[in-house]
Amino acid sequence: MSKTLTSTTLSAAALALALGSALTLTTAPAVGADMEKCFGVALKGKNDCAAGPGTTCAGTSKADYQGGAWKNVPKGSCEKTASPTSPTGHGQLAAFAEKKS
Amino acid sequence: MSDQRLFAAALLNPDVPCPDGLTAWNDSDPTRRFAVYRNNVIVSLIDALADTFPVTQELVGEEFFRAMAGVFVRQAPPTSAQLVEYGEGLPTFITQFEPASTVPYLADVARLEMLRIRAFHAADADPLTPEQITQALADPTRLPLLQVGCHPSLNVLNSRYAIVSLWAAHQGIGDLASVNPALPEIALVIRVGLEVQVIALPPGGDVLIAGFAAGLPLGEAAGLAIATHPDFDLTAHLALLLRCGALSSFSLPTEVPS
Repeated sequence: MSKTLTSTTLSAAALALALGSALTLTTAPAVGADMEKCFGVALKGKNDCAAGPGTTCAGTSKADYQGGAWKNVPKGSCEKTASPTSPTGHGQLAAFAEKKS
Repeated sequence: MSDQRLFAAALLNPDVPCPDGLTAWNDSDPTRRFAVYRNNVIVSLIDALADTFPVTQELVGEEFFRAMAGVFVRQAPPTSAQLVEYGEGLPTFITQFEPASTVPYLADVARLEMLRIRAFHAADADPLTPEQITQALADPTRLPLLQVGCHPSLNVLNSRYAIVSLWAAHQGIGDLASVNPALPEIALVIRVGLEVQVIALPPGGDVLIAGFAAGLPLGEAAGLAIATHPDFDLTAHLALLLRCGALSSFSLPTEVPS
């Protein structure tokens, strides 16, 4: 593969500085804590042991209620979530046309 | 249509009558037995989706999610025996699913959750060691040409919505009511050890990683990120990626460009 470097290519000096500093940042624990603040915490799920479905026996007790369920609108935590595109500010109990911002 | 196809079609569509020729071991009514089996098939697939998309489900509520998932299951039953991969098509389905249109960020949250499953099952790779980086720094003229290999579990999702904050709020991190979903966020998903992590990536990080993934040399990938985001902080980005073990190899192209 012969690829000519474009004019946007960063110089060796700039890269060496950035990579060198990054290496210092990652190996120094104290600064590592600061970096955490800069970027927000690395988040893990509540159920990080969960490898996804397929590991448990399929449930048989629940009924499959289909069809008419469409009368329902979303009513989970999205109702608590602010929605600037919603005319009401938040709450999505009924369908609304998305406001164009 | 073969008997097997008829049987499968009847499983997914309750309007199709019970296939002919079925018998029950204890002389009970095959129509009833078939209805039980049909219910179990659909419910177990909906359960599988609920396992993969817990935050998606919380956002719209269980009843809505299960009804939506039921439509999806009938439209797109699994094509692989590996149930863990089932649901790849759900995010796109959500974008076209009219009743969910009031929750415009739902599809991207579902995409994020699918990436977490993929990251969990991705291959292992050792991160770059400080020694390898020191070695690369020893020959700075080659730095711009280095190709950077990323961890196999690494994925980036660039969203118009605050998917990381929304997802985090459902893990008990932050207050859901204070999240403005309309703020764009970039999610970096990676498995560190056995733990899948979701990290909010500052703007430009997606460009840098896409550059690495496309095989662009380091100098060009970094240059592109700076060109598109003038305040791009390369040091901070590299530090973040090194810290979560996102970078696993440096290599020179076999044919060095002249």
